[in-house]
Amino acid sequence: MESKKLTAKDLIHTGIYTAICAVLCCAIAMTGVIPIMMVLLVVFVPILTGIPYMMFLTKVDKFGMILILNVLMGALMWVTGMSYYALIVGTIAGLAAEFIYRAGAYKSKRLGILAYAVSGLYCWANYFGIFFNADAYFSTRQNFGQEYIDSVTSMLPVWMCPVLFVVDILCGIIGGWIGAKVLKKHFEKAGIT
Amino acid sequence: MEYRLDRNVHSLLDPRTKLLLLFTSSVFVVGNAGEKQMFVFYWILVFLPVLLLFAEKEWKFGFVAIAIYVGSYFAQMALQHDLNSLESALALMLYIVTKILPTVILARYIVKSTKVSEFLAAMHRMHVSDKLTIPISVIFRFFPTVAEESRSINDAMRMRGIEMGSKKATEAVEYRMVPLIASCSIIGEELSAAAMTRGLEVGEKRSCIWNIRFGVIDFIIIFFCLVCFIWWGIGRFFV
Repeated sequence: MESKKLTAKDLIHTGIYTAICAVLCCAIAMTGVIPIMMVLLVVFVPILTGIPYMMFLTKVDKFGMILILNVLMGALMWVTGMSYYALIVGTIAGLAAEFIYRAGAYKSKRLGILAYAVSGLYCWANYFGIFFNADAYFSTRQNFGQEYIDSVTSMLPVWMCPVLFVVDILCGIIGGWIGAKVLKKHFEKAGIT
Repeated sequence: MEYRLDRNVHSLLDPRTKLLLLFTSSVFVVGNAGEKQMFVFYWILVFLPVLLLFAEKEWKFGFVAIAIYVGSYFAQMALQHDLNSLESALALMLYIVTKILPTVILARYIVKSTKVSEFLAAMHRMHVSDKLTIPISVIFRFFPTVAEESRSINDAMRMRGIEMGSKKATEAVEYRMVPLIASCSIIGEELSAAAMTRGLEVGEKRSCIWNIRFGVIDFIIIFFCLVCFIWWGIGRFFV
């Protein structure tokens, strides 16, 4: 019965964990109304979605699941009004994560953490609008008050882009590590994984 | 052979039209493309979802949505100038409400009025792979479940005195996240077992009892969406 094709069960698992990650992202992103939190989203989102994601990775044993999760997350970001960058970067990052996790035969925990860190890059992509197209980005948000715009733009000059990339990867690794620990503490004992 | 069911008369739009409308709404209302030039279309897109909701006889939700929208719209207008940071955060919140709410209503309409099998059949006709449509339908099935589970877990944790924002923040997060994931994963197992018994795994072409086809209203809305994009394109590239 070992087949390489995705079964309905795999697809359903993908859907479930996408939903959990999306709800978490949404809840965290709501704090973006405070300017400093807007920047710190790139810290909190990877750390907190680590737990469901590592759980998701224990269900993955075929090619394509990580990619589908990332494409759907990117699409959800797009529909909820971030930007289409998340979809593009998310797709590429998902493919990369897929290959990383496959290198460990879908079992290695370390590679799993790395794959999580890479696939979380869609979070970083959400800032592209501010970096490369700031005028257009804020023209639709004029009524937040000039203060908000100033504080966000002053915190996000263009050189912050690579910095946030590194921060995102690092937080992804931390989040993945926390996720793996929580998994070990709670789920492996209970036999859910 | 086609079946005529009450349900088909009831549902006004084809799933494909609904998705097109959702896409249009997310580009022009949430994404705010075109701005001033799209003024008329913007307002049509804001109020169309409520009308659709009324067509589904969802009176209560529709009126609540209108009240929230109008309230936050005018509050936001009042908060336009010289804001301190607290007011700015409030204005931002209201702004997000006015942007997101129409699409939320539309999404609610779509979830309410579309059967999963209807959605899958429509997607199949558009030659979208099962690999995307099955996860998407699971996501829509799962959003309310996640919200409900987290609400009851939140209650249980409050009873134990573990609150968000208390000193042990990591504990507060861990004690919510772990039960949530555990229960969601169990629900997932059940869901996939249920799907298996309905023959999702067979791999043959699925038949669908609902009669899916475009009607007059579908064509009007599709035409409207196309006009939106064309008008936007004209303004963007020719003016």
